[in-house]
Amino acid sequence: MSDYLPKFLYRLRFRTKITLGVAIMLIFCGLGIGLILSGMSSNALLLEGKKRGMALTSGLAFHLAEPLLSMDLLQMKNSIDNIRKQYDDVIYIFLTDASDNVLTHTFTGGFPTDLLRVNLDSRRKQPLLLTTERGPIYDFNARIVLGESNLGTVRLGLSRSDMDAQIYRQRLTSLFSTLGVVGLGIVLALWFSRTVTSRLNRLRKSVEEIVRGNLDVQVGFSPEKYCWELIDCNRRQCPAYGDVRRRCWYLAGSLCPNCLDREYPGKMESCRHCSVYKHNFGDELQDLAEAFDAMAMTVKKHIDELTEREKTIARQQGLLKTIMNVTPDFITLQDRELTYTFAGKAFCDYFNLQEEQVVGKTDCDIFPSEQAELNLREGKEVLLTGHPLAKEMCLKRLEEQRWFHVVKVPVYDENNSIMGVLLTARDISMLKKFQAQLIQSQKMEDLGRLAGGVAHEINTPLGIILGYSQLLMDDIKDAEVLEGMKIIEKQTKVCRKIVADLLGFARNSQSVSETVDVNDSIRNITNLVEHSFFLNGIKVLVALDVNIPPLTGDEAKLKQVWLNLLNNAADAIGKDGMVSVQTKLDPQGERIEISIADTGKGITKANLSKIFDPFFTTKEVGKGTGLGLSVSFGIIKEHGGKISVLSPPPAEYLPEDFAQSKHMGPGTVFIVELPLGSAPIK
Amino acid sequence: MILAVFFLSSCRENEETVKVSLEKREDIAFKQQLPAITYAYLPQYAHTESFQRHHLLVEYLAEETGLAIRQVFPETFDDHVKMFSQGKIDISFSNPFIYVQLANRFGAKAMARIIEEDGRAEFRGQIIARRDNQGIKSIKDCRGKSWVAVDPSSAGGYLFALGHFVDHGLKLDDFKEVVFVGGRQENVILGVYAGLYDIGSIREGSLNVVKDKIDISQIKVINNTRWYPGWVYAYSPRLPQDVADKISVALLRLDYKNNPRHRAILDAAKCIGLVPSNDRDFDPVRDLSKKVGLDLE
Repeated sequence: MSDYLPKFLYRLRFRTKITLGVAIMLIFCGLGIGLILSGMSSNALLLEGKKRGMALTSGLAFHLAEPLLSMDLLQMKNSIDNIRKQYDDVIYIFLTDASDNVLTHTFTGGFPTDLLRVNLDSRRKQPLLLTTERGPIYDFNARIVLGESNLGTVRLGLSRSDMDAQIYRQRLTSLFSTLGVVGLGIVLALWFSRTVTSRLNRLRKSVEEIVRGNLDVQVGFSPEKYCWELIDCNRRQCPAYGDVRRRCWYLAGSLCPNCLDREYPGKMESCRHCSVYKHNFGDELQDLAEAFDAMAMTVKKHIDELTEREKTIARQQGLLKTIMNVTPDFITLQDRELTYTFAGKAFCDYFNLQEEQVVGKTDCDIFPSEQAELNLREGKEVLLTGHPLAKEMCLKRLEEQRWFHVVKVPVYDENNSIMGVLLTARDISMLKKFQAQLIQSQKMEDLGRLAGGVAHEINTPLGIILGYSQLLMDDIKDAEVLEGMKIIEKQTKVCRKIVADLLGFARNSQSVSETVDVNDSIRNITNLVEHSFFLNGIKVLVALDVNIPPLTGDEAKLKQVWLNLLNNAADAIGKDGMVSVQTKLDPQGERIEISIADTGKGITKANLSKIFDPFFTTKEVGKGTGLGLSVSFGIIKEHGGKISVLSPPPAEYLPEDFAQSKHMGPGTVFIVELPLGSAPIK
Repeated sequence: MILAVFFLSSCRENEETVKVSLEKREDIAFKQQLPAITYAYLPQYAHTESFQRHHLLVEYLAEETGLAIRQVFPETFDDHVKMFSQGKIDISFSNPFIYVQLANRFGAKAMARIIEEDGRAEFRGQIIARRDNQGIKSIKDCRGKSWVAVDPSSAGGYLFALGHFVDHGLKLDDFKEVVFVGGRQENVILGVYAGLYDIGSIREGSLNVVKDKIDISQIKVINNTRWYPGWVYAYSPRLPQDVADKISVALLRLDYKNNPRHRAILDAAKCIGLVPSNDRDFDPVRDLSKKVGLDLE
């Protein structure tokens, strides 16, 4: 029970608690005070009754002195009868002289002599309560005294029952009055608690709304007039102007002259004297509700700002992540313990890991022990020294070798102490390749220059050898010797050809600048080779763009290029195949594209990059010098153009009727681009 | 609080009660009074006052004479005269006018007069006016003036002054008005002091009574009347002479100065002694009654 009661009280609604508390207090106080007052007033009534009885008796004693002296019995009788009639609760009155003779009385039919035996001494405390057949009666005794002479005694009997009835009525009145007041008090308590709790409920509901995330609440009641209406300020730029949800004293930067440009609660000092505050200020609950509204709005504002910032941060994070994921560079971040806290997508992809498998791990968990040890050592060095580390390293993975430029830099926190290591690694394999190509080009250039020099030096002796050989042949009759001389002449011519080609490759031979119709030059060459190709079962398809304008160049050299490329095609085909020759003008009209595709054996990927190198050939020994494509490359470059090779050829370089069969190779296409203007093609 | 409530509620329940029957009735009869010599004081005051003034004296006389003496209380002056005539009053203490009536009509005999607190067995009246009333300096100036007195039957307050005016040739008609204010002599003094009336007639000594209430220096006494005998003890002709003598002796024996008991008796009776008296002492009263037209025969 002792536990149950507090729990029961605890579970009661606040309104019920207030009402119950006030009701209990009212009942206790009301009944307590009512009982006390009732008791006091009952006693007062009784005392008053006694005093009245005593006053009546004493008054009679005073008035009866005269008739007693003059023995005016009639007046005595009239006096006591008058009092007896006047007051219903006076049961009897009688008068005795100094010798206790009953002079007069109000009884009819004899005198109750019992009364002459009781309450004889007027000096005892008056009255004496008598129990009679007519109920309890207070008997009062008053002596008639003049000076020191006792003239007689007046006795008066006052009904106690009437007093009791009066007391009873008074108690009933007190009881009902108390109950009425208590009832009214309970009604008022109900009203009061309803008023208080309804506002608390509003507050509670608002808090619940806020807990649910709805900050758009209003607890406080709207005032009759807003501040701008009260002072008719018309300051529309004031933050309080038009704000119907917050009172102006909660707002910072309000423009009233009294506000002194201070924020809540600092501005309250001046606001308390403001007429707006005095008019609109409510009680503590209203104050709380308005403060709550202001708080909700402020929180909402802050949350909106935070949300906006969060969005911005998320956007930036997304952007950063996109950059991190898109960038081909490896990016990782390690903390002071060299545990990975971030790993970019390129890094993860390369090592075939998920980000989750990297973050929170160390190098030992990810890499082989040798590599991990190296990484840890480098990381510790960066952490200790604070000096960035840069190096190039080669990683072999899945038979693929890749070069990376690795940079490890220390990351500082706001206290300027090192908090980790940032690693960036860039794939420089291409760069390395270009570097190798550059070295090769340089080498080839040096070789060309050397070959040119050698060719130039041996050209003259070769001419002399050839001239003398031919002269000698005229003089030689011996068939065997002549045959030998003819071999010398032939081989000398081969050498002169090689020397001529070397010279053509090594230095720009004299070029003729003329107007060249590319289509015509191609047509001339195809016509030239068509027959010999036909003999080998090679069909030549020519599709020339008639819109191609003439260009400025060396027709003979260009024809040499076309011839080289067609011969190469025929060599690649061997027997039975097709060669397609196309010319195209680009839509801008700035360049001409000539493609020569074949159905030959194609070129391997490894050989594609070397195809234009001098002396590089896949032909049989003695069949080619390995200078044809190098010379062609040089001629096209001389014309400001570009020559490239694709194997196999894309469909766009093949005509629709370009036959494909199993015995044919994948094919190759050489694409020559020539500029129409003076600007060379990059 | 609850205890207090119970205490307050229950305290009256402890009253002592006595059981009495109101139904047991008996007829009771008044015991007859024993015969006694009756003593009456002219009822100029209430009976209680009369009793308080004279019951000690009555007890003294009874003791001194060994006679049964009882004070009786006539309701009015007429009743006093009537009771004397009926023999219900043996010893009468009255003013000189009533005495003259009793003597003239019923043979009352004077035996002693009281000595007032001023030491005289006589008294007189005074005619007063406001001191600043310059129009009234002598008795003759009172003609045509308004006159206030206490009561037409008052000896010192009216009759003596009327006799005095008659002696000086003024009749009632010579006054502008004669107003009787009733009550006490003080009313007359206050009426003159307030300027409501020109002159007033009072018994000598009355001014001292109001000296605490008003500035009596503002009142001037125009004239005093002659002296008249004061209150007198008389006895009924029916009373045996020896009894009357006994009583007279006892009265005259009262010694204010030397006997504390006598002093207390006389103080209660508002006098300081008695002097022997006889009927002749009251001739001036008889003269006065003739002058003012008072029938005392």
